[in-house]
Amino acid sequence: MKKKILVIEDEKTLRFLLNQTLAEEGFEVEEAIDGEEGIQKLKESKPDLILLDLLLPGIDGFEVLSRIKRDSDSESIPVIILSNLGQEEEVERGLKLGAIDYLIKAHFTLDEIALRVKKFLE
Amino acid sequence: MVNQKDVGEEKDFLAIIDSLTDGLMVFDKEGKLSLINPVAQRIFEIETEVLGKSIVEFFNSPNLKNLFYLLGKEIKEVFRKELAVRKNLILEVTSLQILKEGKKLGSLVILHDITREKAIERMKTEFVSLSAHQLRTPLSETKWALETLSKEKLGKLTAGQKEIVEKAYDSNKRMLALINDLLDVVEIEEGRRLYKLTLSDFGEVVQSVVESYQEEIKKKQIKFEFRVPNKKLPKIRIDTEKMKLAVQNLLDNSVRYNLPGGMITVTLNATEKEIEFSIEDTGIGIPKNEQQNVFGKFFRSSNAVKIETEGNGLGLFIVKNIIEAHNGKIWFQSEEGKGTTFYFNLPLK
Repeated sequence: MKKKILVIEDEKTLRFLLNQTLAEEGFEVEEAIDGEEGIQKLKESKPDLILLDLLLPGIDGFEVLSRIKRDSDSESIPVIILSNLGQEEEVERGLKLGAIDYLIKAHFTLDEIALRVKKFLE
Repeated sequence: MVNQKDVGEEKDFLAIIDSLTDGLMVFDKEGKLSLINPVAQRIFEIETEVLGKSIVEFFNSPNLKNLFYLLGKEIKEVFRKELAVRKNLILEVTSLQILKEGKKLGSLVILHDITREKAIERMKTEFVSLSAHQLRTPLSETKWALETLSKEKLGKLTAGQKEIVEKAYDSNKRMLALINDLLDVVEIEEGRRLYKLTLSDFGEVVQSVVESYQEEIKKKQIKFEFRVPNKKLPKIRIDTEKMKLAVQNLLDNSVRYNLPGGMITVTLNATEKEIEFSIEDTGIGIPKNEQQNVFGKFFRSSNAVKIETEGNGLGLFIVKNIIEAHNGKIWFQSEEGKGTTFYFNLPLK
C-alpha cells in the first residue's frame, strides 16, 4: 500500500513541486493550503507523515503542530517542519513541540527532502 | 556649574568640563567622588549630594549600582564598555587612571550616550534579517522549480535548455549561499552567536565536516590528510553547530583556492590548556600586502578574485567571530603561490 503524506503549505507552486517529487517516489500526497485545512485533512485521511510549513495564514505551523501532538489520534504521526524560518530559537521550538526534523527550505533540494521522508517511513 | 568641592582658580577649566556633552566623573585615589559634571548628574538622575561618597556606596543607589558593578570598588580601567543605565539609555563607559608624575591621583570616568546608535544598529540588523528571510522564500521556490525542470520531471529538455536551466540553478544557489552568510553576519553583530553550548568532542565535529567534503576533494584531485593525536581529545564546551560552520568555512577555502593535485592537511592536537587546530593548503595563498585585511567583512584577495568568481568575502569574518566568541584565538601564515595555513586554539576552561 502506498504511504500517505500530508503537505501543509500555503504556496501553490511549492505544493505542486513537493507533490510532483513525492508522487514520483511512490507516495500518495494530500495537500492542505493552511493550518485549518491541514487539521481537517489530517482527521479524514490519516497520513503516515506530515510536511508542515510554519508561516501559514490563520493558525501558524507551531500551533498546528502543538494541536497534532495534543490529540491522541494524531500524536504518533511524524511531522517534519519545512520552513524558511531558520533561527535557532525557531528550530528549537519546533523540535520541542515534537517535530522529528526541521528542514530549512532553502537548504534542501526536493530530492533530499524526499530522501528524508523515506528515511522516516522505513 | 561643575559641582566640585574646592573650587580653585581654574574657573575656565571647570567651565570647559561643564560644557562637555559627555558625562564626566572624577574619583580621588581613595575611590571617593570628587567631581561630577551636569551631564553625568542628568544621566544618573542624581538629586542628592554624591560628592565625597565612595563608589562602594553607589551599590545602594538604583541609578548608580550598574556603574559600580562595571567598575568595581577599585575603579578598574575599561575602554568603551556598554552599560545599560535604564531602558532607553545605553552608555559607553571609559575609565582611566589620572597620573601625575607617575603617581596615581585618581580615576576619570567618561560616559558617552550611545542609545541612538544602538537603536539604529538594531533596526539595521532587524532589517537585514527580515529581508534575508523574505528573500529566501522566492529563492527556494526558484531553486525547487529549476531542480524539477533540470531533472526533466516535467518533460525532456534540449541540450541547450538543460544547460541554461542548470546555469540558472547554480546562480540561484550562489544567491542563497550569500543570504545565509549575511544572516550569519547579522547574528554575529546582534551578539546572538553562541546559542547552545554543550560539552562536546571537538574531534567528532571536525570529522563530520571533513567527511562531508570528501567528494569535493576527490573531484579536485586533492590529497587530504587528517592528523589526530592517538589519545582522545578532552571534551570542550562549544556551540557545535557554530563550530561546524567555522571548520566548514576554513575547509571550503582550502579546497576552493587549492590547485588540482594539491594537498590539504588538517591537524588536531590538545595541550593541558587548549585544543589546537590547523589547516594547511597548497593553494594560491594571500598576497602579503592584503594579509592584514583577511578577517574583514567582504574581504577577497585580488588573486582569488582573478581565478574564482564565487565567494562573497564573509567566510573568514564569520570564522573569526565564532572562534573569538569561544574565547579562542585565530591566526594564519600565507605565502602567495605556495599556500596558506590557518590556526586556531580553543581554551578548555
